[in-house]
Amino acid sequence: MKLYKKEGNIVQILSFPNETVEKGDYLLVEDAEAAKALIVQVIDVQFASIPGVLEELLRSLPDGGELIQGEDFDPLEIAPHITYIQDASLLVCKIRATVENENLTPSSSWLPSRSQSLIKKLPIPTLLKLAKVDGKLPIILGNTKDSSPLTIDASSLDGRLNIITGKKETGKSHLSKLLMLNLVGHKATVVVFDLNGEYVSLGMTSDEKRNAYHDKIHVLTPNQNFRVSLKQLNLHVLLGILIHALHLPGTSAREFRRIWQSLKERDMLNMHELGETIRNWHCNQHVRDALFSRYHALANSGFFTDETAGAMLLEECLFKAREQGGAIIINLKNTSAIDRQIIVEYVLGKLIELLSSWKLKATFLFAEEAHLYLRETYWDDIVTRMRHFGIFTTFITNQPDTIRENIYRQADNIFLFNFTNEHDLEVVSRAARVDAETVKSIARDLPPHHCLTLGRAVRDFPMVVKVKALDVKTMGETRLFFKNAS
Amino acid sequence: MIAQHTITTTPKYNFPQPIIDAALPQRFIEQSLHSLKSVHNQTIQLNQQDIQQTNTSELQTHALQLKLQPIPLKPLAEEITVAAIDTSSMKIGETSTGIVIAIRGATVCKENKHYRYMRLGPFIFHVTEENKKEVYTMLQAAYFNTMHEHVHQGLLNLIQMPTRIANFLERWLQTNLAKTLGKSLILFDGSLTSGTPDTPTPLMKETLHTARERGNIVLAFSKMTTLRVNGHLITEMLPSYKPPYMLETIGLKPKPPIVLFGEVYVARLTHGNYAFRLDIDKEAPHQQRIEAVEKLLGNDSLSQSYPETLRLAHILCTFTANEVIAMQHFITRKYGLKILNRPDIHRLLFGPFGRGEGCS
Repeated sequence: MKLYKKEGNIVQILSFPNETVEKGDYLLVEDAEAAKALIVQVIDVQFASIPGVLEELLRSLPDGGELIQGEDFDPLEIAPHITYIQDASLLVCKIRATVENENLTPSSSWLPSRSQSLIKKLPIPTLLKLAKVDGKLPIILGNTKDSSPLTIDASSLDGRLNIITGKKETGKSHLSKLLMLNLVGHKATVVVFDLNGEYVSLGMTSDEKRNAYHDKIHVLTPNQNFRVSLKQLNLHVLLGILIHALHLPGTSAREFRRIWQSLKERDMLNMHELGETIRNWHCNQHVRDALFSRYHALANSGFFTDETAGAMLLEECLFKAREQGGAIIINLKNTSAIDRQIIVEYVLGKLIELLSSWKLKATFLFAEEAHLYLRETYWDDIVTRMRHFGIFTTFITNQPDTIRENIYRQADNIFLFNFTNEHDLEVVSRAARVDAETVKSIARDLPPHHCLTLGRAVRDFPMVVKVKALDVKTMGETRLFFKNAS
Repeated sequence: MIAQHTITTTPKYNFPQPIIDAALPQRFIEQSLHSLKSVHNQTIQLNQQDIQQTNTSELQTHALQLKLQPIPLKPLAEEITVAAIDTSSMKIGETSTGIVIAIRGATVCKENKHYRYMRLGPFIFHVTEENKKEVYTMLQAAYFNTMHEHVHQGLLNLIQMPTRIANFLERWLQTNLAKTLGKSLILFDGSLTSGTPDTPTPLMKETLHTARERGNIVLAFSKMTTLRVNGHLITEMLPSYKPPYMLETIGLKPKPPIVLFGEVYVARLTHGNYAFRLDIDKEAPHQQRIEAVEKLLGNDSLSQSYPETLRLAHILCTFTANEVIAMQHFITRKYGLKILNRPDIHRLLFGPFGRGEGCS
């Protein structure tokens, strides 16, 4: 390999056919005289612009567009050299760091010698060692292209905002399960908004036996084992549901507050009494109608119960998880859009309540396709307010444009799977911790189950990893009509 | 009982298989390898001006006249094989003792509406003042051994060596096509003049004779000519007559030892203002010469008055820039030559004014 050009933080390297370098690989450009080296990452592989190639191709096609037939008597065997030159490639690389005395600096301000520099592939384990991507709380994501394991530190997700994105069936949920289980393994508390019931069997192996996580996975299915009674609710949590999920106007909310206080004083906080009180409350007819329609929405959701004994306490699960680690899976499968929003409002409200009172230290929140249940104002909350409460969110989506731009800008880690759509790539490339060229070039060619890891977890050295398999019962498979036929 | 013909494999080009003298290519390889041994671990200065050299030997003339009455031509559809030969040579670098050159030859044959080619080379030679005579003599001996005992070498100039070595290959390819084809049109690049060190008269005579004996007719197209009538190039004195046609020349008397084996015409074979000097074997009867051109019109595609078969032969033997790089790569890898990028003195001294066309 030979250093050809440097423009800004892009270097172009000439590579020959016997040097197998692919997108995503890291190279070390060593300048012995300067006692420094550049760490560069290949973001594109192009044909080298060899003079005369066009003529070479043209002259093989003059016979009516068909390849002209013939024989070559090439006694000195020059042909392999011609092929060697013709197949030379140009590696477009992004400078990631400078190594000097085994220390990394993000500098790209110096120019290595074009003629004297030695360019070689930088094995991922060496890079990880140089970049100090290790830690006391390891999470093995999978294997890099050179079959070495990529281990990140769980603390790199702690207090961070993460995004897992990619097109359908590329392995996003799989990675999210892997991260989640590893966090649980490190005794973290995890809450998952499980839109499709994919996480409910994480406590089972693929052959339906209990696995090591079985006792730490708490599945809460609304209307089944997850109901709340009004007595267990704080007023502000319920108001949050009414205002944000059910769009109750301010005036009506004020009236509801009075109703609630009245019921509480009489120790009559239950759904039946709430309905009756609204019906008989002296207030404007429109306000009463508004309150009554919300009451029916709450009642019809089936999430609220008057039987305290039958109500599953979210708190209980969270406290259980607090000691030994655990995941609370909020199974949102088969819930309507409104009910979903009610449940999510409840869970988030409860979490903030517990976190702000320091009953919980911090929680990792995994939210799949959050745009389907997260209210508008929560997006900003998540990157600002909720982080300070101790809710560290990981968004999982196949529609990157459903996540707001400011979320990308503030994302600390991005786990990017394959995208071919320009628009999707454009959206993801707005993330502050990555350059657009890397995202657009590498993500486009990622095979299924391969993920480009960007951000703090890999110390800003984007790395392609084949996500390791998990021995858990998968539930996220698409239901097919022709499944048996094939 | 029906007699069954013996079935044999299809010969190359479907040509008849006479005995082909393979001594020259063998010597080419030997001399190439032998000469390259002397370059071990030397430095090589890449050519700063890559000029493809092809043989354009010309004829000095006196009293040349051009018959202004054109010979009209009609394409003859009678199917016939058209074959063409061309070679190319190139200096690919300089060493401290000499030059490194590459030679390649190509023959193209159009048969049953399909083109096929055969390419020989590239042969790479390291020619120095010390070995130039040896290289030349060995190739000359290999080529002329079977035919003629003594051939004049002329003054061997290092700069002319690429062209002269390429000429050997070209003549060998021409002779072989003349021997192997039958009832075909054979197109040469250049003219049918002889008497030069690289094209001895007996050799050209024998090649044409062999071709004629096998029912072939040789046509030689010159891409460039210096023949002039009243100071004007013969290829630019075109009457306003609808092509295809030829103009006959008269009074062309070459100075000895130059011998002219062809009748010289100006051929304008397609629309457009291009015409070429065309030499046709003069031993062939007049009518046969005209018919040969008409058969060419009927059997080969022509673009800008130039036959496609000959154009392909030229294209196939020409070295492209990436082949030159590949050959430089070959000699540096295999023979340990170190590439030296000596600055271009013209550029160094004169900057952007340092490389005008024709500067020396």
